[in-house]
Amino acid sequence: MRHVASPVLRRLVDEPLAVPDRDRRHLAECEHCQANSTEIAGDAALATRTLSAPAQITDVDLEWVLLQDRLRPDAPRRGDLRRPRRMPRRMVSVSVGAGTAAAVGVVAVGVAAAAALTTVYAPTHVAPVPVSSSDLRAVQAITHIGTGQLADGLPPSGSRQLAFGNLSWSTSGQPQQVGSIAAARALTHLALPAPATLPAGVGAASTVMVQPQVTVTVHFSQSAGAGVGGSTLQITGGPAIAVRYGGWPGGGNVTTLAIVAAQRPLATSTGASASQLETFLLTQAGLPSGLTEELRLLGNPSSVLPVPVPSGMRVLKTQVGGAQALLLTDPTAFASGVIWESHAGVVYGVGGLLDREDVLNVARQVG
Amino acid sequence: MDTSFMARPGAPPPQASLSAFERFFREEYPVVVRIAYGVTGDAQAAQDVAQDVFISAFRRFPEPGESDHACAWVRAAAAHIALNAIRGERRRDRRQQLAGAGVPPMGPEETVLDRESRTEVRRALRRLPRRAATVLVLRHNGLSYAEVAQAMNVKVGHVGTMLRRAESALRKELQNASRS
Repeated sequence: MRHVASPVLRRLVDEPLAVPDRDRRHLAECEHCQANSTEIAGDAALATRTLSAPAQITDVDLEWVLLQDRLRPDAPRRGDLRRPRRMPRRMVSVSVGAGTAAAVGVVAVGVAAAAALTTVYAPTHVAPVPVSSSDLRAVQAITHIGTGQLADGLPPSGSRQLAFGNLSWSTSGQPQQVGSIAAARALTHLALPAPATLPAGVGAASTVMVQPQVTVTVHFSQSAGAGVGGSTLQITGGPAIAVRYGGWPGGGNVTTLAIVAAQRPLATSTGASASQLETFLLTQAGLPSGLTEELRLLGNPSSVLPVPVPSGMRVLKTQVGGAQALLLTDPTAFASGVIWESHAGVVYGVGGLLDREDVLNVARQVG
Repeated sequence: MDTSFMARPGAPPPQASLSAFERFFREEYPVVVRIAYGVTGDAQAAQDVAQDVFISAFRRFPEPGESDHACAWVRAAAAHIALNAIRGERRRDRRQQLAGAGVPPMGPEETVLDRESRTEVRRALRRLPRRAATVLVLRHNGLSYAEVAQAMNVKVGHVGTMLRRAESALRKELQNASRS
């Protein structure tokens, strides 16, 4: 009796219909071939376990943008466009408010977006950018948007005349308070599960806000600079959900925990190349050289979401849901926060008057 | 089609060819990056390999259309470029050993075990004959027997034989690694 050949038994694992009936009948009756088949199936399973890639490991939109950039005749040589692998060298120090840090975030994202490419900015991971109070003042002077305005909330649409052009913003609707996280999810289509277990003393969710998508457009004036003049940079961000928890005994209206989820920012640019925009924005008069250097150290800015880190905050690199995350801790360890971008392109932030283990426990239920 | 822009500083890539190539890129990129990941075990390294594959593919097939040949070419190229990359890694490992360089810091959730298993798999792939390693990463990252055959320019009936031998060799290499 002729046994079934090993290659046929191997194909039986993957494509059983391609194996002749006579071989299958033989296998059903032959112990030798059954033992051989078991070993072959085991080897195949081992190879699958060790060599198969996860289902989703890349962002095709971003990779196409990177490829287009490399196909340009003035593209940097091979290796210059590698994704960043290092942390910025400087973690500095002076105390600033969270609202001010957000102002730098908007500009840092804009700078990174501009530096990205001519068409699209699509960050895939977060990276820290240390900022000082003087950095923040300089950014406010350039954007004409101050801390107080951000804290009070910008109007749904508006514009500012800048030295190099016009900056305008608009939203696709009004921010609104909703009754539950589930209602916010239904409005935004963002994945934000309500954490099942909260640290002691956090209390219940007191406010759930939904922010519609925001579009920021910069029209560069003709005199803005070589290559950039007359071009347009458009950045979209959101929609977003912000959940506030309160209820500390005797704490009144104190926010003990806040959870934010937002669609990552994306940017398109017309008329100017990535390198032209990057050079232009990073050489703006008044932008501190230290901040410029930190932004350059981000590496390839098209894939990085810069997170402004006020001086004095401790930053640790960690992971949430398999994504790179930044854990920020107040110098007194009284408050902590963690921020990360999921593989699905949603940026999450969890922070509050909690120690870092508690913040991470909440984050891992969310991301 | 005129592809001379690549050698002509200042001239942008023709939009028509870019849009034709974009369709091909969007279709094939996920397949290519999976194959590269199968070899490197690292998402960033796999993306770098995939970029290099498509840079070469654009020069070779600026208007790929529905060409099966172009698909087969980028898939085989992904395996070869990734295998070349981990050969370079072996040189780098040796260089670090000689220089006494430390291991880069791990994230809190990355276990030593994960790192060691990925290293063992890469070592095993480096020790296997090139065709054996190629058939393994192609087949175990979603290619059918017919697609593997086309990418490797062999008959479909031969794929089972190559695969069986390669999987057996991989198991032996991993067993040897775990014993040592």
